[in-house]
Amino acid sequence: MTIEGKAENFTESEESEDSEEEPVREEVRMQYVLYMILFFIIYYISWIGPSFILISYFVIIFRTYFLDAPTFLAIFTELNPLLALFLMPLVLILAYLVRMFFIGLSTRIIWGITEKISPSKSGIIPRNIKSKAADFYHIRSFVLKYGKSIFTKGALPWLSKWFYNFVKSAKIGKGTTIEESLVNDKFMTVGKNCYFGVNSSLSSHVVEGIFGNISYFEVKAGDNVTFAAFNSLGPGTEVHDNSFLLPLASVQKHVTIGKEGEKNFGYYFGMPARKIFKKKINEFIGLSPEQLEINENMEEYLSQIKEKKLKSKEKKSKKNKEEKVKESQETTESNEEEHKVEEPIDINSLTKEDLAIDFTTSSAISRVNLKFLAVYFPIFWLSGLLVAMFWYENTRWLNLTTVFFLPVALFAMIYIFVFAVLFFSKLFLIFLNLLHQPREGVFIAEIGDKDYEFWMMRTELKKIALWFFRNTPLPWLDVIAFRWFGIRMDFTSHLNDAWCDAEFVDFGRNCLVGQGATVMSSMVVGKYLIIKRVIFDDFVLVGGQSTIAPGTIIEHDGFIGALSTTTYNQVLEPEWIYFGIPAIKLKKNKYGSTRRDVITRRSVDDETKVEEITEVHVDEDKRKFVKTGDSEE
Amino acid sequence: MSVPSSMRIGPLVPTILLKKRYITFYFAIVWISFIPIFLELWVYWQFLWNYERPIHFYTFLPLLVIPMYITLVFSATFIAKLFYWIVNAIHKPRTGVFLRHPSDKDFRYWCIRNVIKKWPFWLSHRFPFPFMNNFLYKMFGVKTRISNSLFEGWVDTEFIEFGKNVVVGQGAIVMSSMIVGNLLIVKKTRIDDEVRIGSHAIIMPGTHIKRRSVLAANSVTVVDQTLDEGYIYVGVPAKELKRNYFFEDGLQDKLGQVEDVEALRERYEEMYLKRVDAKEKESFLERRKEKKRTKAQE
Repeated sequence: MTIEGKAENFTESEESEDSEEEPVREEVRMQYVLYMILFFIIYYISWIGPSFILISYFVIIFRTYFLDAPTFLAIFTELNPLLALFLMPLVLILAYLVRMFFIGLSTRIIWGITEKISPSKSGIIPRNIKSKAADFYHIRSFVLKYGKSIFTKGALPWLSKWFYNFVKSAKIGKGTTIEESLVNDKFMTVGKNCYFGVNSSLSSHVVEGIFGNISYFEVKAGDNVTFAAFNSLGPGTEVHDNSFLLPLASVQKHVTIGKEGEKNFGYYFGMPARKIFKKKINEFIGLSPEQLEINENMEEYLSQIKEKKLKSKEKKSKKNKEEKVKESQETTESNEEEHKVEEPIDINSLTKEDLAIDFTTSSAISRVNLKFLAVYFPIFWLSGLLVAMFWYENTRWLNLTTVFFLPVALFAMIYIFVFAVLFFSKLFLIFLNLLHQPREGVFIAEIGDKDYEFWMMRTELKKIALWFFRNTPLPWLDVIAFRWFGIRMDFTSHLNDAWCDAEFVDFGRNCLVGQGATVMSSMVVGKYLIIKRVIFDDFVLVGGQSTIAPGTIIEHDGFIGALSTTTYNQVLEPEWIYFGIPAIKLKKNKYGSTRRDVITRRSVDDETKVEEITEVHVDEDKRKFVKTGDSEE
Repeated sequence: MSVPSSMRIGPLVPTILLKKRYITFYFAIVWISFIPIFLELWVYWQFLWNYERPIHFYTFLPLLVIPMYITLVFSATFIAKLFYWIVNAIHKPRTGVFLRHPSDKDFRYWCIRNVIKKWPFWLSHRFPFPFMNNFLYKMFGVKTRISNSLFEGWVDTEFIEFGKNVVVGQGAIVMSSMIVGNLLIVKKTRIDDEVRIGSHAIIMPGTHIKRRSVLAANSVTVVDQTLDEGYIYVGVPAKELKRNYFFEDGLQDKLGQVEDVEALRERYEEMYLKRVDAKEKESFLERRKEKKRTKAQE
C-alpha cells in the first residue's frame, strides 16, 4: 500500500474538450509481496546490529554486575554495579543510533536500485494504466515510508533531515529545519536556512482521481524561505529566495512564488496564496514597517546593533522599560472590553438560520478518566502475558541463533500484542454495546447523558487498539481494526494517514482518503454532540488535510480538494470535484478522458498563466490509451 | 480518533537546533532519566528471579512495564525542569518580536528551552493515555485544566492560557510563537472557557478567544485577533459568521432535522447491504472452487 500525497487538488484547467470515450478503468494493483519483502529486508538489517549490542551487554555485563548485585547499597558503593547501571542508558542510545543508521543505509541501497531501474522524472503518471513508472513510484513511496515514520516519530527528530539527504530522496540545505509533517520527503530541493513549520507540506506528487493522473513534479524552495505552519504546496511549485508564507498560505500545482534571481522579501497569505503588502502585513501579523525593514536587511541591522552596544548599554535598559509600560497598557485595555452584559436568549424565537449547522468543528473531545485504567489494565496484562509467554519459549536456549532470530521475534511480539489488544478491546466493546446500543442523533456533551458517556467509553476502547496499530511497523493493517470495530470497508480503500472515527462510517470500493484528512462521524457543537453516519460511495477521493463532517454523503466518483471542509449533512453529487470552506462545486471530474500532457504554470506575483507540455510516463505499448497532443495529430 | 501513522501529533516543541552543542542538554536528560527505572527493575529482579527462568517473573512483567514508563516520564520531567529553571534564571523568557539569528539572545534561549522540553513531552505523548500530557503542560507553565482535550492538535508549550472545558480539534495548531522570515514572533495566546476549535484550524500568536466562541475547521486567526464571546468564526482570516446559540438547553430536537438526506441515506443503506455483505457471504471455499474451475477450463 502506498500513501500518495494529495496536497492540492484545486486546479482549474482550462481545457474543455468533451470526449464521449469512457476512460480506461484498469484496477489499481499494487505488488504487495514485493513490498513486504523489501520491508522485511529493511526491518531485519536495522535490528540485527542493535540486538547484538543489547543482548550481549545485558547478558554479559548488566545482569551479572547490576541485576545480581546482592544489596541495594552495593549498587552505589561498589564500582562494577555502578558502572553497569550508568552505562546502560548509553548503550540504549548507541543501539538506537545504530538502528537509525542501518535503516538509512538499507533504504538508501533499495532507493538507489529503484532509481537505476526507473529514475524519478518530472511528469505525469496515469493511475489507471499499469506501467513501470507507476510501479516504481509506488515501491519508492513504500520503501521510504518506514524510515520516515521511524525518524519523524522517533526520539531524535533532528535526524530526519539527515535521513532524506542520505537516502537521496530529497536535497535539503544546511541550516534548514523541517518540523513534523506528512509529506516533505521526496523529490524536492530545499535551499539553506529555511524553516518548515508544523504540518507544512511540499508534496511532489498528487493523485487526481482514482482513474486519473499522478502528477509527479519536483518541488523547489530557495534559500531563507519560511513556511510558518500548515502550508500546502503542489507538485512543480518553485518558491524563490526570501519568500515568507504565513500559516495556511497554500497554492496549487505548478506555481511560481517570488522571482528568480531577485531579493524578493514577499509575504504570502490565503488560500490560494496572494502576495500581501505593508498594510495587510501589519493587520495580519502585527509587524510594523520598521520591523519589516529589519527583516529585509538583517545583516546591516546586526552590525548597527553591535555599534550601538559598544556605544551605550544604558539606553537598552530604558527601552525595555518602555516596552513593559506598553504591555501593561495593552492588558488594561483588553480588560475593559471584557465587561459586556449578557442578554438572555429565548429558544423559541431562534430561526432556522440561527440553528443551521453550516460550520464544522471537531470531535476531539477526549476526557479520559483515571477510571479507564480499570479497563485498560486487564487488556494490557492479558495481551502482555501472551507476549511474555512467547518470549519465555523463545529464550529457552539462549545462543547465537536467538540473536539472529531476534528481529523476527520482535516483529512477532509486536503483532501478538497488537492483535491481542484488538481482540480484548473488541470483547469489552461487545459487552458495552450490549449495555447500550450505539445510535445516531443529537446528545448533550456532558457527564450525565447516557449516550455521550457510552460514546466516550467506546471511543477510548477503540482508540487504544487503533493507537497501537498505527504505531506498528505496518500501520496500514489498521484496516483490520476498523473492520472489526464495525466500519464497512474493504482492503481496496485506504486511509493510512488520516483521522477516522471508528463507527458509523461506510466506505465503498477503491476509496482514497488523503493525508491528514479528518473523517468524523461525530462532532461537538456547543454543548451538543452530533453523531451521524458518513457515507462514501465507490471511487471517492478525499484530498489531504480536508475535514469531513458527520452526515456527509459523497456519491460515486466524487472528489474533494485539499484543505476543504464539508458541512453537516452535505451531499456531494457524483462525478464532481468540490473545493472550499464549505466545499462547493468546482468542475466535472473527467478523469483521463482529457488530454494529459498539458499543465498550466502560474506565477503568484504577476498573476500570469503559461501553458506547457510535459511528459507522460507510460509503457510504450500502452501509449494509445493515453490522450496526448501526439495522438490527436 | 486515530493519529496519522507518520506523525506524532502533540505538543508543539519546535526542533530548531541552532547550535549543535545544545543537543548535549537532550542527551544529559535522557541519560539521567533512565537510571531510576533500572533501579526499579533491580528490585523486581531481586524479588522474583528466585531460580533460573521463573514463570512468575514473566507473568507479572507486563504489569511492571506501565509503572516503569510512568517513572521514566516523571524522572525526565524532574531533570528537565531543573535545567529549565537554571536556563530561565539566566535569561527570563519574554514575549516580543525577535530575530531568527544566533546573535539574538532571546531566540537562542527559545531554542534551548525547546531542546530541554523535547524529551519529557515526547515521552509523555508516546504513552497511549493522555493523563501525562496535562501534567507536563502544567509543569512547564501552561495554565490548563484536566477537562481540556488538547491531545489531537499541536499546542505550544509556553505563553498559553487555557480556560476550562476547551476542545482543540484534530490537527489544529495553537501557536504562541511563529517564525516569519528572519523574525520570531512570540506573543501570549489566551483561550477562555468552553471554546471549541475546529479540526485543522490555526491560531496565530497573540490571539484571544473569548468564552464560548467557536473557530470552525480550516480557519485561521491573525496575530492579536480577539474573537468575541459567544460567536462563531469562519474563514481565512476568521470572520464572524453568527451568534453561537448552541450552548442553550433543549435544542436536541431542533438540530439537524433534514428529510431529503434521510431518504438518500436509506437508499445507501440498502446498497451497502447488497454490496458489502453479499460479498462477504461468498465463502472462501467457494472462491477457491471457482479458481480451480477457471484453471481447469484453461
